[in-house]
Amino acid sequence: MLFLLLLLMYFSVVISLFLGMLFFFPFYFMKTGSLVFWNDPLYIIVLTGFSLLLAGIHFWFSASGAVQSVMKSLGAITPDPEDGIHRRLKNIIDEIHVVTGQTRKIGCFVIPSLSMNAIAVADLKGNAAIAITEGLLSRLTRSQTEAVLAHEAYHILSRDCMEATIATSMFGMYAAMLEKLQNLGEEERSGLHPAFFLFWILLKFSQMLSMLISREREYRADAASVRMTRNPVAMAEALHLISRNWRGSGMIGSGLEMLCIINPQENELDESNGFFSNLMSTHPPIRKRIDILLKMVRVSIAELDRKLTSGTQTVNVSSGAAEPLYHLLDPKNKWQGPYALAELAALPWLLPLTWIRSGNDKSVERASENPLINAIFISRLNTAGKEASEFRCPSCKQSLSEMPYEKTKVYQCGFCRGVLVDNTKIPRIITRREKECTERIKSLAKAVTADNQRKIAIKKLKKTETQLKPLTSCPKCHNPMLRTFYSLAYLIEIDRCSFCNITWFDADELEMLQCMIENRMTATLDLS
Amino acid sequence: MEIWILIAVIALFLLWAIVTYNQLIALKNEVKNAWKQIDVQLKRRHDLIPNLVTVVKGYMEFERETLEKVTSARARALSTAGLREKVSAENQLSQALSGLFAVIENYPALKSNENVLQLQEELASTENRIAFARQLYNDLVANFATRIESFPSNIIASVFGFRKADYYSIGEIDRSLPVADISTRQK
Repeated sequence: MLFLLLLLMYFSVVISLFLGMLFFFPFYFMKTGSLVFWNDPLYIIVLTGFSLLLAGIHFWFSASGAVQSVMKSLGAITPDPEDGIHRRLKNIIDEIHVVTGQTRKIGCFVIPSLSMNAIAVADLKGNAAIAITEGLLSRLTRSQTEAVLAHEAYHILSRDCMEATIATSMFGMYAAMLEKLQNLGEEERSGLHPAFFLFWILLKFSQMLSMLISREREYRADAASVRMTRNPVAMAEALHLISRNWRGSGMIGSGLEMLCIINPQENELDESNGFFSNLMSTHPPIRKRIDILLKMVRVSIAELDRKLTSGTQTVNVSSGAAEPLYHLLDPKNKWQGPYALAELAALPWLLPLTWIRSGNDKSVERASENPLINAIFISRLNTAGKEASEFRCPSCKQSLSEMPYEKTKVYQCGFCRGVLVDNTKIPRIITRREKECTERIKSLAKAVTADNQRKIAIKKLKKTETQLKPLTSCPKCHNPMLRTFYSLAYLIEIDRCSFCNITWFDADELEMLQCMIENRMTATLDLS
Repeated sequence: MEIWILIAVIALFLLWAIVTYNQLIALKNEVKNAWKQIDVQLKRRHDLIPNLVTVVKGYMEFERETLEKVTSARARALSTAGLREKVSAENQLSQALSGLFAVIENYPALKSNENVLQLQEELASTENRIAFARQLYNDLVANFATRIESFPSNIIASVFGFRKADYYSIGEIDRSLPVADISTRQK
């Protein structure tokens, strides 16, 4: 339905463009006399007026709500006030409000993606927003983030981002959508659907629009950023970092590229000088931008390069108190006892998952299923001084406690050390590298990858169904959770609840995942 | 006939005078407002400092002097009135704070403390806000001064007694150019 509406709108835009041309050069067409009714001025005027009206309505709606629609298409979310780094982002935005004298409100968003880019959007309604990816936000220092945000804020304040946004919302958004469609339905597309042709025209339109957007605006915004933060090196460092990493090509559609701090697509056009590239490209060469910035402090680009590539892993924060070690299994695997309840409480290896057998009847149960023994765990939790949350560990059935992890909050079970993470927080955690990847985790990760790889291979050979495992239930909604691999490249088994969008990691699994991604420990799977 | 021309000229002059006067008033109020903004941010800093001191106190038995410097600078900044005195007191407070942060760097337990980190972030943000508010204030003061001194609006300004506002200048120590030593900067 929406698709049809879009088609209708675009037809009207195209018709209005066509008829607009007719309207301005009527004589040429009259002389050729191709169609009779073209000669009727009333008909032309009515049709043109109607299609212009439709196009105008579409333009108004797409341009006035551009901030929201762009953010929605990027999947951006508002910053989480409980997250340390997101709080920093909010603070910096407030600082920018101070320097502008509170004349213009700028919203801020975070794009849950590992890529590194930032984008500024403003629309006809006067809304303006800056969005920054988790990847960029987590890897920049405070002063670098300030520089990037000041750059984007200048685009908004100088209003040159408004032209770009309007151009984008007219055509670019749909071009971006088209690219996604093309990526999705490569094999489904049989023949050339007329809609694709229309979209193709729009794509070309949006590419032509980049001619109207000058490269100069990026230089100006860099300069304005330095004027505000007085720190050219931070800006240069940020640009350097972004240019060396994944800038989000594929995630940020080509229609939006002129709004970004650095073009998500790497192309030669951007990196070259000359009349043609000046005309066609929206972003100046990064080297030149960095050069200009570094000239302000008389530092050479090679020096910056050396510094940034050598000392990337300097952040090393100890994780506070030493973690008490819980052995999950009684190592002898023997029945010990008999113990009194008070003695049980003193046993260090008693865990909610330990099998117990009460004296009278011979039935065996988990320790957490016995209310008397369960009280031990509750009191242990209380003495540990951790605040209990309403969620319960899917395996131990004890309440989880909030724990800071990589500047954000996760819920951890104090007994089995499993962690409950909100799905939106996973990319944040992955990009942040505060938690060091220890040797133990590294070797564990290697072993788990190899093990899972073998399991999958066996399953493939035997062609058996997925083996049933005792399903854990979601700590929030108590529906069964889905057990999957994090991805086919990173073989970590996780439990996902698709209703609440949360993920349960068993002990060490989150660290292992981080470690795998950081060190590119991908599994090689033969998927044929 | 000539009377009408005279009246027209006088009317135009009056109109110009009114417009100029109103513009000057608007500029003056903007300057005043910008000054209020600095005050807001300074107050924010004053409110944050006691929190920081209480958190840090337990860890830093040996650094009493540094802490006392901060608290006394805060007290002085709170008690002074008048722009010049206030500016110098606030500058001293800034220096005392940066001294404290330098000391904190030597205490690993403090450096990784969640509360300290949060307070440090808030104070860093506040320092920035003060700097930015100052930037805005000085820009507006410069605007106002240009308007008062330049012809012909200086006539109206002198008739109605508009006076230039004082710049919020930074201390002598801060004025020395920062050395861009890229090799030792921490990431």
